[in-house]
Amino acid sequence: MNAIVFDAGRFRHAGRAPQPGPVRRVSEPAVTPQGFADMIRAIALRGDRGAFAALFGHFAPRVKSYMLRLGAEPLLAEELAQETLLAVWRKAAAFDPAKAAASTWIFTIARNLRIDAARRSRRAEPLDDPSDAAEAEQTPDEALVTAQSETRVRQAMLTLPIEQAEVVRLSFFSDKPHSEIAEELKLPLGTVKSRLRLAMRRLRDLLGDLA
Amino acid sequence: MTQPTHHPSDETLFDFARGALTPGRSLVLRAHLGVCPGCRASVRLAEAVGGALMGELAPAEMARDALDQALARIERPPAPVAVPTVRANGNWIRVPTDVLIAAERRRRWAAPGVWVAPVTRDRRTGERCYLLGVGRGIAVPKHTHKGVEMICVLTGAYDDRGEMHHPGDFAENGEAVEHKPRVTMDGECVCLIAADNALVARDLLGWIMQPLVRI
Repeated sequence: MNAIVFDAGRFRHAGRAPQPGPVRRVSEPAVTPQGFADMIRAIALRGDRGAFAALFGHFAPRVKSYMLRLGAEPLLAEELAQETLLAVWRKAAAFDPAKAAASTWIFTIARNLRIDAARRSRRAEPLDDPSDAAEAEQTPDEALVTAQSETRVRQAMLTLPIEQAEVVRLSFFSDKPHSEIAEELKLPLGTVKSRLRLAMRRLRDLLGDLA
Repeated sequence: MTQPTHHPSDETLFDFARGALTPGRSLVLRAHLGVCPGCRASVRLAEAVGGALMGELAPAEMARDALDQALARIERPPAPVAVPTVRANGNWIRVPTDVLIAAERRRRWAAPGVWVAPVTRDRRTGERCYLLGVGRGIAVPKHTHKGVEMICVLTGAYDDRGEMHHPGDFAENGEAVEHKPRVTMDGECVCLIAADNALVARDLLGWIMQPLVRI
């Protein structure tokens, strides 16, 4: 099994607007994932501005980086990073650490704001919050999967064969259909799809049955 | 309610998690996720991967006063969002509000025993999402699709090439699929459907083609 280090450069696309710098080596963050979850709780419980500032300092530049990767202009990327962290403040009470790691929760907020912004810019029909219909009660099965901390997910990602990890990474920093991703990688579409399927299966095996 | 037996592919769940599904297909998938804990877990897993990957990106430089701006903005209450009130349809699986609004306001008869209600239209891709209600025992004329059609049963059931599809069941029909699904004799079947274009009818032109083209 090839372990992989998420080094960067070859995932960059020529002709794209400003790209953030190389992806860092996988390493433990200065604040633990649990620390971030506690900060969100502190905002929910007592409007803790210090906790907000710390979350902002860590996540806003990474959300901006994510937006830039997906082709947002720098001004829009900055605004979407702002909006994401504002949403963290406003929705803090809805954060459930048993359901998702702080980074997962913030990623979904950023993703949804990006989708909304893209729809606004092309005047598509408005849509309501993508999470509302999926918020039915949780089953034990689901709790198992979602209780995974960010660290575990990272470790699992490290065990993916390099070609699977590449497709997963490239997909997350793109909203292109698989057919275009396949073209970029000069691979048949079926190969890209099967790598994604294999990666999902492996991650499910590694993370789906841990408490 | 029993759990669905027909599920989206892993690629589709993954696309939803990475925010790459078109608006209509997202809606159809969300209808399924609302009743399927297993697929919800897969989506959450993929989202956790997204969170971890985002966390590994090199931080981009924010404006110097970004935090001050954010702290100023959290003082201001958010603009109130008008939430339309629509009653859930007790006979359907739970669906996003937009779908209920469409059913209430934009529903019209397309053929005897058949109604349609447009839900969304994506101007970028031309994708259309619509509700299709088909009366008991009626077969939809044989057709193929442009692009992959995604479909989720909201109520009732249909038989497609020998496979039964019940509420919550999800199907992805590619261009290669040519089929003639038939609603069971138990009652009306309502589906939420997203496709890049109206159905491509292979026979019985005009049965439902014309109304769909106007969606």
